[in-house]
This record gives sequence, structure tokens and C-alpha cells, in this order.
Amino acid sequence: MRYVPRSPREGINVSDEHPLKEAAVLVVGLSFLFAIVMLSLVFIVDLVVVAVSPETEARIFSGWTPGGIVELVDDDSRQRAVAGVLQRIETGWPDSPYDFRLLVADDDEPNALAVPGGVIVVTTGLLDKVGSENELAFVLAHELGHFRNRDHLRGIGRGVALAIFYAAISGGSGGADIGIAVADLTLRQFSRDQEAAADRFGLELVQAEYGHVADSWRFFERLRDTEAQPGIMAAYLSTHPDTGDRIEDIRRYARDSGWSTVGRTTPLDW
Amino acid sequence: MGLETIQLVNFLLPLGLLVFAYLLGAWIERRHYRDILAREAGLRSFPVVTFETLPDNWQVESVELVSGSVVISLDYFKRVIAGLRALVGGRVKTYEPLLDRARREAVLRMVEHAQANGYDAIANVRLETSRLANSRGDGNGTAGIEMLAFGTALSLSRR
Amino acid sequence: MQNRGGIILSNTETVPGKRIVEFYGVVTGNTVRAKHLGRDIMAGLKNIVGGELVGYTELLQESRNEATDRMVEQARSMGANAVVNVRFATSSIAQGAAELFAYGTGVRVE
Ligand SMILES: [Zn+2]
Repeated sequence: MRYVPRSPREGINVSDEHPLKEAAVLVVGLSFLFAIVMLSLVFIVDLVVVAVSPETEARIFSGWTPGGIVELVDDDSRQRAVAGVLQRIETGWPDSPYDFRLLVADDDEPNALAVPGGVIVVTTGLLDKVGSENELAFVLAHELGHFRNRDHLRGIGRGVALAIFYAAISGGSGGADIGIAVADLTLRQFSRDQEAAADRFGLELVQAEYGHVADSWRFFERLRDTEAQPGIMAAYLSTHPDTGDRIEDIRRYARDSGWSTVGRTTPLDW
Repeated sequence: MGLETIQLVNFLLPLGLLVFAYLLGAWIERRHYRDILAREAGLRSFPVVTFETLPDNWQVESVELVSGSVVISLDYFKRVIAGLRALVGGRVKTYEPLLDRARREAVLRMVEHAQANGYDAIANVRLETSRLANSRGDGNGTAGIEMLAFGTALSLSRR
Repeated sequence: MQNRGGIILSNTETVPGKRIVEFYGVVTGNTVRAKHLGRDIMAGLKNIVGGELVGYTELLQESRNEATDRMVEQARSMGANAVVNVRFATSSIAQGAAELFAYGTGVRVE
């Protein structure tokens, strides 16, 4: 038995794949995987939403108010006027299965929400900013569009699906970031499509009520003028389409439908 | 500073850190491997074995328990890649050179110590790996990995 | 005692029944593996009732085999025909990743 000095061949315990290649494969592969998972979740949620009839929805959420989500104000003198506008707009959707209610929330951010059970919430910030009845009518009609397309239920279902998805991927540090980004982009794309569909339905209701669509996008123009112009990145990432694009889309839809964009508008006397 | 500027910074900062960590890590790795290979070549005639049965012609004069150790950290780039890998499973290739280097460094330190103290061989070598968990957070993160090599150094008078 | 592609492995001092004629030095084999989410979920369920985590048993065994293969490859590259005094070690490297490591001494037996 004697010692013979020898060294093993170099590199046996190290894989020779380039780390950057592995990084690229993992990032691209995981993005695809996550996108497929998110699309499947959206698809499953949509199936469930279709299975829940508006009657069932009304039964489940009857008597429920979104007091836990937003701070409701019940003494706003404008509530009755807004509810009146909603009632008139609603007649353009005669076979609506919902019995709509209008609530006002105390929030300076101009916003409107479609809540399960046929509840539309408008913020005081919106009521402060809105300039005419026609502007208000389009905002309400847009929310009715969300009800028609059951977007409010989809929103909740996707929220739940997203929470489950986040919980599942929270283990891997870098992977979770990719997962969140992919989930975000996927859902944003869907929500932009939903907003566009709700805009079109809203415009139809406004046309049916007033015989013209004047002032429909005036409110968005008002918002656009006050908000900072977002960069390309921000526009791609935002939930609602870029306000300028959105106004352009609504305008084009009105023109293609042959609706008049000028007409007598009704001032708000509050 | 506008909102999108902040978003851009939030996006570019980790990316910049990632690129920086990769370039620096790759440079350190190349340099360390060069160093390891040179030192290993110099110590090739020094026998290191995992058994205790010695050749008949070895007469042991003295012995000493020797060890060599090193604690390494997992760099940011490798951690991120490993984090992605943890979702799909499989071989975590980026950690292999890291552990290989650390283990060889520990063995080299043990051998260099033995040689400097006049020993001729090391028998019954054992290699151990242990993870130091982060004390911050949930303690699940890895603060570092210790590689330990130890064995019995022998000084011989050849018959 | 095990024979892998002509290389004898043993975890005793020598290969029983044979004589070491030459010894070359320490040979090592390693691999770092991460488990994946699917196996995690199954293991999570199994952790409620206890029992063997078959998925993990297979994963670690498979990885240990690979570490052994690399060690054998090192021995072969040295011209050894056996690896004696083989030791295995498993250590957790990071959350969800473990290193399987095998080492021994490359020798020539007759
Ligand atoms: Zn909307």
C-alpha cells in the first residue's frame, strides 16, 4: 500500500450551465407558469360567477350594506337626487334582475363602486367634482354596466383566488415577486377589458335616457386635467385604462353608433 | 420626484443590485478557483485520506487533531435564483460551486496548518456542513454556511 | 459494499477480501436540490397524519445517488477502482434546499 499523488478531474461537482442561462430559463418559465395558473383561476372564477344567478346573489346579500368597506354617510342631501338619476337611467335596462340601491361614502377621492346585491356606492369626492347631471348619469350607467357583466362578483372571486395564489408562492423569495407581477399584469388586462365593456353599456343607457351622449366623458376630462400625466410604464400598469385613451374609446364608440355628442345638458342644482 | 420616477427607482434598484452581485460574485469565484487550484497543486504530495489503516512502512512519531473551517455567505444573485428554483424544484446549480469552493478551502486550511506544523499526512478526515440560520426575522433565512474539515495529522519517520 | 460501473464502494477501512495497493486521496460528490411546491403540498397534508413522506424519500435518495455518482466519477478520473470509507452527509443549505454529499478515499485494490 503506497501513496500515489493524484487529483480528480476538475469540475465534476459543478454543473457547467451558465448561471445567467439558468436565471433566464427560470424567469421566463415561471412567468409562463404563473400566467397559466392565473388564467385558469380567472376562468374558474368566471364559471362560478355564471353559476350564481342574480336572484341567488340578491338573496345572499339582501340587507347587507358595505359599511365595513367604506364609511357611509346617510345624511347627504344629494343622495336623493343621485338616486333619482339612477332610477331614470335604470329604465334603459328593463330586464335588470337587480333592485338597485344608492349609498354615499365619505371619501375625498372621486370614485364609484358596484357592490354585490345591487348596491352602488358613490363617494362625496365624486359628488363634489361632478359638473352636470349628464356626467353623473354616465358614471352611474357605467356601474350598471358592471352589474350587467357581473364584474362585481368577478372582482371578489379574483380577490380570493389571488390571495390563495399569493399564499402558495410566498415560499420562494424571488419567485414570489415574479408571481405578484404576473398576477397583477394578468388581472389588469382583464379589468381594462371590463371597464371598456362597462363604458359601452353605460353610453347606451345615457343615449336611451337623454337622446344624446353630450357631457358623458366630461367627468373624465375633468379628472385628466387634475391628475399628473402618467408615463408609458404607469399607463401600462394601471387598472383603469389611461384616462386619455378611455375618453378616446368612448368618443369613438359614440361616433360609430351615430349618437349625437352635443345636446342640452341638465345642470345639478345642489 | 413624480410617482413614476419612484416606481422606476423601486424597479431598477434591486435589478442593479442583482447585476452588481452577479458580476462581483463571478469575479470572486474565478479568482478563488485560481487560488484553490494553485494551492492544491502545491500540496498534491501530501496524503489526505478518510481511513485510519496506514501503509506498513509508515512509522508514526506524533499525531495532532487538525481542522480547517470556513463560513461562506450565499450571495444575492445566487439567493434569488435559488428562490426561483425552490418553486419548481430540481438541482440548485448556482449553489454547487459555492459549496465546492468552501469545502476545498476548508480542506486546504486544514492541510496547510498540518504542513506548517511539520506533519506529513492526515488520516481519518471528516467533512461537515452546517447552516447558520438568521437570528433576524423567522430564523428561516441563511446567514452563512460553515464547512469544517478535521482529521488526525501524522508526522512520520520513513523506515 | 457496492459496485458502481466497475468502482467498488465500501464504508469500511478497506474492501473486505481485497488488498489496497495504492491510495490517491479524498474524492467527493455533491448536489444541491430544492423540493417543489407540489411535493410540499402533499407533505403538508401528510404532516397532519404522520407517516412516511414518500415524495421526499425518493427525492433525497435520487439526489444521494447523484452525489455518489459524482464521487465515483472523481475516483474514476484518478484511476481508482474502489472508494473506501465512504460517508454520506445531508445538510440544509437554505429554506427548501438541501445538499447531499458523499466522500471517501479513492484507492486501487487487488
Ligand atoms: Zn369601472
